This record gives sequence, structure tokens and C-alpha cells, in this order.
Amino acid sequence: MIPRLSLILVSLLLCACGGGGAEPAATPAAPAVNQMSSAARLGAKIFADTSLSASGRQSCASCHDPAHGHAQSDSLAVQLGGPDGTTLGFRAAPSLRYLAGAGAFRFDKDGTAVGGFDRDGRAATLADQAKVPFLAPHEMANANPAEVIARLRQASYAAEFRGVFGDAIFDQPDQAYDRVAFALQQFQLEDPAFRPFDSKYDLFLAGKAQLNAQELRGMAMFNDPNKGNCAACHPSARGPNGAPPLFTDFSFDNLGVPRNFKIPATARADDFDLGLCGPDRTDLAARTDLCGAFKVPTLRNVATRKVFFHNGVFDNLTDVVTFYVTRDTDPARWYPRRADGSIDKFNDLPAAYRANVNTSEAPYNRQPGMAPALNPQEIADVVAFLGTLTDGYRP
Amino acid sequence: MNKTILAAATAALFALPLAARADDAALAARIEQLAAELEKLKAELQATKAAQAAAPAAVPAPAPVAAEPQGPATVLTGYGEINYNRPVHNSAGAQADARRVVLGFEHRFDPKTKVVAEFEWEHAVTSADDAGEAAVEQAYVEREFGHGIRAKAGLFLMPTGLLNTSHEPTAYYGVERNFVETAIIPTTWREAGFGLSGETEDGLTWDAGITTGFDLSKWDATSEEGRESPLGAIHQEGQLAKSRDLSVHGALNWRGVPGLLVGGSVFTGKAAHGTDNFPAQDARVTLWDMHARWTPGAWDLAALYARGSIGGIGDLNLTLAGNPTPVPSAFYGWYVQGAYHLPRSGDYALTPFARYERFNTAARYSAFPAGLEPQAGVLQNVSTVGANLRIGEGVVLKADYQKFGQDKNLDRLNLGAGFAF
Repeated sequence: MIPRLSLILVSLLLCACGGGGAEPAATPAAPAVNQMSSAARLGAKIFADTSLSASGRQSCASCHDPAHGHAQSDSLAVQLGGPDGTTLGFRAAPSLRYLAGAGAFRFDKDGTAVGGFDRDGRAATLADQAKVPFLAPHEMANANPAEVIARLRQASYAAEFRGVFGDAIFDQPDQAYDRVAFALQQFQLEDPAFRPFDSKYDLFLAGKAQLNAQELRGMAMFNDPNKGNCAACHPSARGPNGAPPLFTDFSFDNLGVPRNFKIPATARADDFDLGLCGPDRTDLAARTDLCGAFKVPTLRNVATRKVFFHNGVFDNLTDVVTFYVTRDTDPARWYPRRADGSIDKFNDLPAAYRANVNTSEAPYNRQPGMAPALNPQEIADVVAFLGTLTDGYRP
Repeated sequence: MNKTILAAATAALFALPLAARADDAALAARIEQLAAELEKLKAELQATKAAQAAAPAAVPAPAPVAAEPQGPATVLTGYGEINYNRPVHNSAGAQADARRVVLGFEHRFDPKTKVVAEFEWEHAVTSADDAGEAAVEQAYVEREFGHGIRAKAGLFLMPTGLLNTSHEPTAYYGVERNFVETAIIPTTWREAGFGLSGETEDGLTWDAGITTGFDLSKWDATSEEGRESPLGAIHQEGQLAKSRDLSVHGALNWRGVPGLLVGGSVFTGKAAHGTDNFPAQDARVTLWDMHARWTPGAWDLAALYARGSIGGIGDLNLTLAGNPTPVPSAFYGWYVQGAYHLPRSGDYALTPFARYERFNTAARYSAFPAGLEPQAGVLQNVSTVGANLRIGEGVVLKADYQKFGQDKNLDRLNLGAGFAF
């Protein structure tokens, strides 16, 4: 079976890398390139270099477009990649913004899984994460690190790479590959475009902008533990030291999202992406209680996303918020029926793991027939509030 | 020299910390101790005079020696309390806790200058994985200038209410400190800065000072902490305290009639400190109280009212809409308390007491648009009846029952053991 990897890109639409068609409100401020380290400046070039892929048409930026919040620019549930750019992946491409604070994966004092990179947290650092797509068969599809380095030697910035990492660096492909990952990590850490904190909401927190009435109502619903309860996993308040909120606590949750049959792998009835417990991640295979849990993503720039959840099953925010509040009150709306007419709730999980789904917290703590935690107007309000989290707000 | 010694002893009498004022028994013990030392000094003075009279005239007088206070220049102090709480409707919630143990010292550099420090451990074990806490509760130097005027600098207790400066377990009734002087007045409340205090011959004492204040940027609207004690959630306790905006305080207490204390205090200061991107730059915290204590005969009666406000928080609260704990613009509480000292039996003194208190930690919110107003807090009432059993002067055993007006599930039986020296 083809190993699954957190997606990165492809796209036959390479023009996306260049930023064409960017939405003005989502365009981050120009990175302070001159203030970055030499490694980070190299990382910027590697990030946008399509020549490092087997197809010659895919770079990091193809799936993590700076003009789209460093996330995918198209509406495909999962991205295309592989040697000829026609292989569909397994997971939706996440945004690369606001990731630096995740830290390595760990269990905190009460046993809660937290942190790491990739949707299953298996990469301990941004550098570790950066290595994955180069070799993923459905992504950049290089056979091994040496192949990546062989391509890099032909790049226009190869001399700069030697200048930074040593004249003999290309003679040691594995070490050179580590340097590639390091450069990409430094680029993500040093380029302020990965964390501009300049959304309307940021200005609102600073007292420099006002949310309109609907946005305020939506924010209240978002925060209210008895309504949306979104802030429980997507904190909206400044940290104790005044740090701006990241809208993720980097924890993992099992939401029981519907199976997305647009992903080719789902054609096999026994193929399940179980997040923390595998199959991509292997070290927690025995922790079956974690099967189905994926990392809570930041909601910053969520209004610019084209698809949602790890399997990209939804393509608009209203459906997402509606799913949260009606998953348990009206499951027939989201899940197919079995032959006997019963609802196949949580159908993207094997029957043995469906009990892992979070059903205890608001807004899930309801039964069929009960009123959802949010009504349609309140859902619209929450969606309006989420629109204030887009970077690059200009009053 | 001997006059200096006497003056030192006298000054020491007047320099009794305000902390002792509410504890008559402890105060009496200290007066007795100082009186004994005074008698000792008098005896030494007589002996010195006699020696001088007997000395040959040709013997030159000894060179002047700096005045040395009599008795130890450094005194170890301490107090502690171990409490047991048992909710009567939920025995599974019963807890025993070494609530706090405090060790301190007072060192006199000279008859007019001293340093006072207290170090506190709460909840028995302090580590990254435990609930305990270690803290410097007080650390200040004080200088006396005569005419009853003293100046202090460092980390010291705010002269607010009846309990804050007199918080030893032997000094108050009940196993737990009262709610008003913990939820509204954040006992033990200390700030870093400068203070002046003095007293007049007609029984009026005064305090004034300029200190650090609160840090509103610490407010966590997702936590219950701010609802339990608004100021306790944003106090700085001398820990890397933001200090761009300093606060001022003042207090007056009158003891012109034997057995009577009437007083009040006020504290105010801005609380944003220029924090970057903080939407309440003009936020101001103000807290004031009025209190009285009367001890006619065997009775010990007390009453207190305290009220706090946090102003200039409109834009901040807008950002917190929907959260469980926005910033309240007003909070207050009051209590009345009566105790009766039964006749002593040897070293044992039993004092039954009763206390009734009402308080609201979120009496009002302001500046929310229509439809987004949070629900104001509930005016809570708590009744406490129990007794303190003093053993000697430094040990107390306590028992009481507390009834909570708004949630009977909180009703509880409390037992405690405390000491102070």
C-alpha cells in the first residue's frame, strides 16, 4: 500500500505558487526577507521550487500557497501529486501558519495528547515535517533523499546552498537533505508571513477595530461553553502573558466526521485513516482509544480554506459549523443509511472505534430530536465571526 | 546611653505592627513580654547608675557606644494552619490540607530601623506537579522617625479591612478566612512600594503609600478564578510586577474609645501598564472598605463593608463576550460577626462566634451591546457558626459549620488547628 503522508501539493495549477489571483484581504504582508538568516532565505527558495519534485510541477507552495493562508488554493478534497501530478492523496492540505508553538508531540499531565506536526502529530519538528512530502509517492515523489539533492544541485541557488552549508555539502546527500529540511524550518520560523497576527480580530483585541454586531454575536456564540463551545479547543483569548490567541490548543479530538468518498482510498471498505493510531503514524497503534483523533487546527484564516477537516469532506464553513451542532441531533443529515435503514453514524471509523468519538462536550452532548446548540442565525453569526480571523485585514 | 535603651524599648512598644491590633490576646502577650523587658532594662539602669557612682573620679568615661537594643535583635516568627473541610452533602469532597505554614523574621538593625520578612508555603507540597505554592508574603524595611511616624519600603501588606494585616489563624474566628476579605479584599494582599504611617495622641492612626497595583492583562475570561476573586485573579504579589502605573492607598483607623476601632481604607490605581495591544489602557482598579470592631467586656463584635470597581474596560469586555468570566465593573461584600469570650479555664479559652456575610464578585458588568450582556453574579450569603479554642497564647483549635445560601451542596463542616508565634 502506498504510504500515506500529510499532503502537500501538487496541483497542476502551478501559477498558484506565484500568488496570482490572491484575495487582497488574505495577502500577508511582504516577508522581511532581509532580516532572515541565510538558511531561512534558502528555505524560501526551496519552498517555492517546483524542480525538486518528480513531476517538476510541485513545490511546497503548491499546496501551501502564501496567497491562501499557506494552505491549498483549490477546492480538491485532497491534492494531486506523484510522478506525473495525477495521484490523489489521503488528507486535506493543512495551513502552515501559526504552527510554531505546537512543540513536539507529548502527553500532558492528565494524559491528553498534544502537539507535534502533521495532522497526526508524528513529526517532532517543522524540519521533520518538511522532509515528508519530498519522498511521499503521492506528493513530490522523490525516490530517496539523494534524488532530492541531485535535483537541488541543478537549482539556480545551488551555489548559495553550498555557500551556506559548505562546499562539500552535496557530496553527503543525507546531510544535505537534513539541511534542506532545516532551511525550510527556519523559513517558516523566521518569515513573519507565517504568523502576521493582523486579522480584524487581532486589531479588535488591541482596541484598534470594531467587530460589527453579527460578528460580535458570533464571537459570543463561539466562546459560550453552552452554545458553540468552540473556544474550548480553539482558544480565542490572549494567553496569560498577553500572547495573541492561536485558535488551537494543539490537542487532538475525534469528531467522527463523515467518510469522504472523493478520496480514492475510501473505495476499500476496510481502509480507514485513524489519525493518532495509524496507519501513517505507527508508534501509537496500540492506543486504540486514540483511533480517530486528529490534531485541532488553528482557525486563523479558516474562512479562506477551500475544504475542511482532515479528509476535506466539507467545502464551506456553514456546513462545518452546522455539522458540529447537528451531528448528534440530526445525524441522518450527515451520514448514509445502511441497508436496514439505520444511520451509519461515524462511518469513517471502524465499528470498534466509534465509541472514541467525542460525544460528551457541547455542542455534541445532545440526542436526536433535541434542539441544536445553535440555530441557523447563530450559525451564520459564528461564520461571520470566523471571517474576522483572516490575516491581512486593512481597516 | 541608658536613656537610649529606654527610648528603644518605648519605641518598640509603639512600633508594634498593625498586624497585632486585631488580636487582643496576642497583643496582650507582646505587651507583657515588652513590659518584662522594660523592667529588666530598669534594673540594668539602676545597676549602671550604682556602678558609675562607685567608680573613681579619675577613671575616664567609656567611649560612647552605639545604642544596642536589649533582647535579641533578630526574632523568628511564624504561623500555620491545617484545615479539614467536609461538605455535609458530599462526603467524597472532604479534604484535609496543610493550608499554609509561614516562617518569618524581624531583625532590628538599630532601635529605629528593622526589616520584616515572611515566607509562605501553601498546600504542603510545592513542585511543578503539585498544587502548593511558595511565596514571599512580606519583605520590607521600616524606619521610625519619632512622633509616631514610620516609613517602610519593600513588599508589604495593604492596610485594608480587618484581616489583611492580621491574618494569622489565632487572629480571626472560623477555620477559614471570611469570604468578603478573600473574595473582595484579596487577603493576603501585598504590594511593593513605599508607605508612611503614623499615629496621633487621640488614637488616630493613618497609613498612606504608593505601590505597585493590579495587572488587568492577566485576566483570564475562560477561568473561574476571576469570579471567585476579581482582584485575586490579577494581583501581582511583587512577582516581576508591571509597574508603569503605580497605585496609591490610604487608611485611617480610630481607637479613641477603649475597645473600639473604627476605620476605613481606599486603594486606587491604573491596571494596564501600557501593555501592547491591550484595549483597556485606561482601566483603573479601586477598592475601599469601612470597618469597625468593638470589644465591650467579653464580647468581640465586628462589621465590614468592602467595594471594588474596575473601570475603563468597555473595549476589553467586548473582546470577551460569551466567555464565562468577563471583567466585572463592580463587586462588593459585607459581614457582621459576633463572638463571646467564655471565662478562661487555665490555659484554655473558648470563644463561640457567629458570622453572616453577603458578597457578589460580579455585581455589575458594563459596556456590552444589547444581547451580549453576561449574567451578573449572584449575591451570595454565607452563615458561619462555630468556636475558637485558644490553648495558651499561640495555639488555636477551631470548629465551625458554614451554610451557603445559594447552593446547599457547599454546606460544610470545618475543623482546623493553627498556631502563631
